Amino acid sequence: MQFDWMKIPYALLTLFIVINFGYLLNSFIAKIAARVGRRRGIPIWQTYIDVAKNYGLRTSITHGVMFYLGPVFRLSGGVGLLLFVPSIYGSSMFSNLSFAGDLILALYFVFFGTLGMALGAAESGHPYSAIGITRGLSQVTAAELPFALAIFSVALQYQTLSVTDIVAAQQGGILHWTLFTNPLAVVAAMLSFLGSMMRPPFDVVLAPQEIPIGPPTEYHSSYLALMQTNRAIFPIAKIVIYMNLFFGGATDWPTFFLKVFLIYMWSVFVGVSFPRFRVDQSIRWFLIWAVPIGVLSIVLV
Amino acid sequence: MVSAIVIIAAALAAEFMLGLFNERWRAAAYGVTLFALGFMAFISAEWVWAFAVYDAQPAEIFTAGVQPPFAINLRMGFPEAALTLLINLTGLFSALYLRRALLEKGRAAMAVLLVFVMAQNGIVLTRDIFNLFVFFELAVIATGGLMLLSEDERAVAAGFKYLIVSQVISAFLLIGIIFSYHATGVLNFDLMRPEHFAAAQGGAIAFFLMFIAVVAELKPFPANGWALDIYESAHPAFAGLFSVASAAATLYAVDKLLVLGGPAWLPVATGIGVVTFIAANLLALPQRNDRRLLGYSSVAQIGLILAVLGQRDILGDHYFFVAGGLIAAHAAAKAGLYWLSGLVASRDIIGWSTLRGHPVLIFAFVSFIALLTGLPPFPGFYAKWELAVALAGSGRYILLALILIGALIEAGYLFRWLGYALKRDKPSEEISCDPSAVTAIIAALAAGWAFAYLWGDLSAHGNILHAVPLLFALSFLLLDWLPAWVKNTVAIVGMVGYFILNYTDYDPLRLIFAVIILIGGPVILLASYDAHGRRIGFYPSAMLMYAGLTQLIGATDFFSFFVAWELLTVGSYFLILRGKHSEPHALSYIIFSLGGAFLILTGFALAATVSPLPMFEALQHLTGETAGWVFLLLAVGFMTKTAAIGLHIWLPGAHAEAETDVSPMVSGILLKAGLYGLMVLMLAMGKQRFYGIDIVHVMLWVGALSALLGNLMAIFEEDAKRLLAYSSIGQMGYALFGLALMNHLGWVMALMFVINHYIYKSMLFLSAGGVAKRTGTRLMYKMGGLITLMPLSFIAVLIGIIAVSGVPPLSGFGGRWIFYNAILSAEHRLPMVITFFSGPIAFLYLFRLIHTVFLGQLKDENRRIKEAPFWVILPQMLYVGLLMAFAIVPGLALRRVDTYLNQFFPEGGLNWEGITITSQFGYWSPVSIMIIVCAIFGSLFAWLMFINRRAQKVKQFNIVFAAERPYRPETTHFAWNFFAPYRKALGFLVQPFVTRFWETIADILHTAGDIGRRLYTGNPQTYALHFLAFVVIVYFFWTGG
Repeated sequence: MQFDWMKIPYALLTLFIVINFGYLLNSFIAKIAARVGRRRGIPIWQTYIDVAKNYGLRTSITHGVMFYLGPVFRLSGGVGLLLFVPSIYGSSMFSNLSFAGDLILALYFVFFGTLGMALGAAESGHPYSAIGITRGLSQVTAAELPFALAIFSVALQYQTLSVTDIVAAQQGGILHWTLFTNPLAVVAAMLSFLGSMMRPPFDVVLAPQEIPIGPPTEYHSSYLALMQTNRAIFPIAKIVIYMNLFFGGATDWPTFFLKVFLIYMWSVFVGVSFPRFRVDQSIRWFLIWAVPIGVLSIVLV
Repeated sequence: MVSAIVIIAAALAAEFMLGLFNERWRAAAYGVTLFALGFMAFISAEWVWAFAVYDAQPAEIFTAGVQPPFAINLRMGFPEAALTLLINLTGLFSALYLRRALLEKGRAAMAVLLVFVMAQNGIVLTRDIFNLFVFFELAVIATGGLMLLSEDERAVAAGFKYLIVSQVISAFLLIGIIFSYHATGVLNFDLMRPEHFAAAQGGAIAFFLMFIAVVAELKPFPANGWALDIYESAHPAFAGLFSVASAAATLYAVDKLLVLGGPAWLPVATGIGVVTFIAANLLALPQRNDRRLLGYSSVAQIGLILAVLGQRDILGDHYFFVAGGLIAAHAAAKAGLYWLSGLVASRDIIGWSTLRGHPVLIFAFVSFIALLTGLPPFPGFYAKWELAVALAGSGRYILLALILIGALIEAGYLFRWLGYALKRDKPSEEISCDPSAVTAIIAALAAGWAFAYLWGDLSAHGNILHAVPLLFALSFLLLDWLPAWVKNTVAIVGMVGYFILNYTDYDPLRLIFAVIILIGGPVILLASYDAHGRRIGFYPSAMLMYAGLTQLIGATDFFSFFVAWELLTVGSYFLILRGKHSEPHALSYIIFSLGGAFLILTGFALAATVSPLPMFEALQHLTGETAGWVFLLLAVGFMTKTAAIGLHIWLPGAHAEAETDVSPMVSGILLKAGLYGLMVLMLAMGKQRFYGIDIVHVMLWVGALSALLGNLMAIFEEDAKRLLAYSSIGQMGYALFGLALMNHLGWVMALMFVINHYIYKSMLFLSAGGVAKRTGTRLMYKMGGLITLMPLSFIAVLIGIIAVSGVPPLSGFGGRWIFYNAILSAEHRLPMVITFFSGPIAFLYLFRLIHTVFLGQLKDENRRIKEAPFWVILPQMLYVGLLMAFAIVPGLALRRVDTYLNQFFPEGGLNWEGITITSQFGYWSPVSIMIIVCAIFGSLFAWLMFINRRAQKVKQFNIVFAAERPYRPETTHFAWNFFAPYRKALGFLVQPFVTRFWETIADILHTAGDIGRRLYTGNPQTYALHFLAFVVIVYFFWTGG
């Protein structure tokens, strides 16, 4: 794993592709959700309009330094997560900055954005932000647990922590995917996935339908734009890890787009079908249903 | 050399001379008394000197110029000389203390005092059994007389009860002597033989009667109600004399008898002794009256010594060393404490807080308590060690366990008393500083320390008082008059200097601990510059703890390791006790620590008997069942110090209530002592099984559960320092978990935790302490919005929580990365599940810390507060730098350790080539991560700065609030019960089961003590019944059924 200056423009290229894909994907999925509810939904380019509008707003206020830094942390977390993991298997061009660390780096870097966002939102002094943060943090501890167990299981299975090596081990046909070689780990991870996508039944953190509540309550204009950009990048970055660990990775961009879309759709399907949990309910749900499967996958691997 | 009989003669002469004096010549009479006692002490001292320096031979003194059995003889050997010196000196200083009372009562009282001291001398010196009886009678009568010195009206009744019961005892003794004479034909100790008693009809009964009578003079349980009344109501000087002199003399009489009785009687003595020791300590537990408490304690100590007398068959050469050590410690401490009680007006032990403000008296009180509990460097400590080794060596485990349980109960009430004296509100009445009384107390104090030095010199393990770190710590007692900043500078220079001189001697593992103690300690001490005034007592305690820690990592044999362990425990106890509300927490700390120390003592004693090798090798050579026991005892002992779950309840209070600069010391540094002990243990012994159970596997679970429950308890805390304290339980759980993985990377991880935990926990405690100092509260929901007022404290907490939570790019991530690599090659997988869960939970409490204190809404009362003091901030900023440095170049500290660990765990090391660290499973490049994260963060920050350049800073309440304007920060700051959903979902996990368990044990002990002490009704008829019951029970015990 050597560093090469060319990696920087290549990484930026990955970033560019993923941002645009993410913008489109977000609108597309919003549209699908609307159609399920018998509504027309937004145009596919709506996200671009929203982001451009937010960047363009002239009024902007700040509550202090951390408030300012919140979105920066958030977006750095998303971008970092994306770039620490190779996007396209076998392509040194899109191996991004994965020379810096392995799977564990990605696993823990997830918290970088969460922490920063929580700090920023907290400085606004808005109690709704704080409530959103406690809900989010409480839920994420339980929701991430099955995922951590699945990662441990997969690492045990392939005896490596290198993402590239794990993808390599899954090449040679769909039956080589972890999905089929270690199904329990994948089930545990996919249940955990529901918890991290901010969709029902686990979306009480943002509570998007109600009056503004949740960490972004006080964020507006360019701050919000930065966070919207992150909302395009972060889920994809996370899905890339899932894709690499469990679904054979992607050897080219079309496969990448397809797999990311399908994995994303799993949370959408569940989300439009089930009502929302309270946080204590979701904590118990993850501990009772998802964790035992993860534990089983560790024991049996 | 003056003949020993002159001791008796001098006393008699003085008594008769007093009879010739006019009743008004009281001062002259008092002078004669003092002179006589001084002269008696001088004769004994001369003999002690002769035996110790010139190796003199024991002298036999024949009365009437005729050899026994036709006349009485006395003997002056080394034990006799030492004991009579003890008795006479106690007599002399008691007389000094009694000056006012004796001058008031006149020559009769002085004569009775002389009779008492002479009788005790006689009991020690005589070799004739009937003569022994005579001296006992004299002692009893004199006791009855001296009771009248007291102003307490109950004294007369107590003295009368004593006389009555003593007559019953004397009757037993006399009948026993008559039958013995019948059985053996002689009355001389040297001419009687065990065979005589066995051969003659009724010989055994004869011996039994004598034995039981003399033992009853030691006030064994339960036949001791009258003695307790004496202890409680007598003049304190006489109670001290009674406790010291008559105990020493009677114990020696028992010793002489036991030689006669032969080995069959040793278990009887042990049994009576150990039952008395435990029962008296138990009964003392609920006791509030100081003198009665001392009475129980005297009974207990004498019981312990009696049990030691019963162990003479296994103690061999150490017999006099052990028994003498206990007697010496008991004498100095008990005399001193009784004398101190004379200065205190209140009879409730809480009233002893009046001693505060008199540093010498407080130091004396502390020394006396340490003498009684057998802490180093006092003789009781050496005795405890030798006794434990002897008992473990001969397989008398139950006895050892009983003695240690009794000692722990004793420590419980003694340290509670000490805590009251040091911390409770000072009563209005001052102490009466009678110069002669203070002189006597200082004499007892000096004697205690002289004994400490003497026993150290006699010990085969070398003198504790010769260790440089300890001497350095003790020297602060003499420097305590200096201003705090001078002492602080001396302390810092001393510790750093010691490190510079010695660092080459440490191997990489020890070096890490040495750096944390000797360099990390001074960094925390920088915060101590903030303290003003003289800060009396802080430096001796702190330096004692650091001395203990320093000696711990330098120790190579069991004894010095244990010494160091006790020193650091005692030092940290006093350090913790300094906190404003820390009295109950310090007590729970010392009890748990001593309990742990006793387990370690037992483990060491077991291991030390197997081979005389240095510690590490001796542990390595253990095999079989012993190895399992040793491992278990030591592991549990060390885990008490790391506050593993189940043994953790002392930690939150102790760490949270300590002073601002003390919390980081006891959390960041002291906790590592337990880990160090575990490391040494596990490196030496590897994995051990205990009756088929893999102990290390159990420890893996304990570590994982500690990590989970410690973290869970932390997230529900409202108090910032308690939150950090619970977090320490979790962090130590992680480290324990790493060690218990028993593989290369598990150990690297544990060491990384050692370093990281030191840095960030010290930093966070300082920060929380600084904030608490400014806001006047530790409750986080009362704070909020302090970021602009205390930006540097905020930065420290921010960096701290990023590091603790393991988020890249700071050093906590390295720990997590190594953790994952370590568990991949671990044997057991299930405990990992628990640690996976506890990691993110740590994130919750850390976020809470930063949110509720620094973010959110600023309260009105806090609007004017300033940043924490400079000296509290300075170390925090150093730690920020250190964390950054350690994040970028972890190899600086870990690389050498990694190599060093290769000899123990050859497989699974790390590869440190280039900037990327690689393991068998993955890779990690700290420098690249730091650069990438900084680059991304920096460019995004610049971008936001650019587009948001005109952002306007708004006021506190300018927020979107459902079209309303909030105006009270209290109602807008969301902080209290921050993780309510979590409590709802998982609150059942943090029910205080463990606390309830330990509280129930304490309750049971107190209740047992409370029920037990109702035995003593104060009615002499009940007391007579007790004595009879005692005789009957011992008789059945002796006859075996």
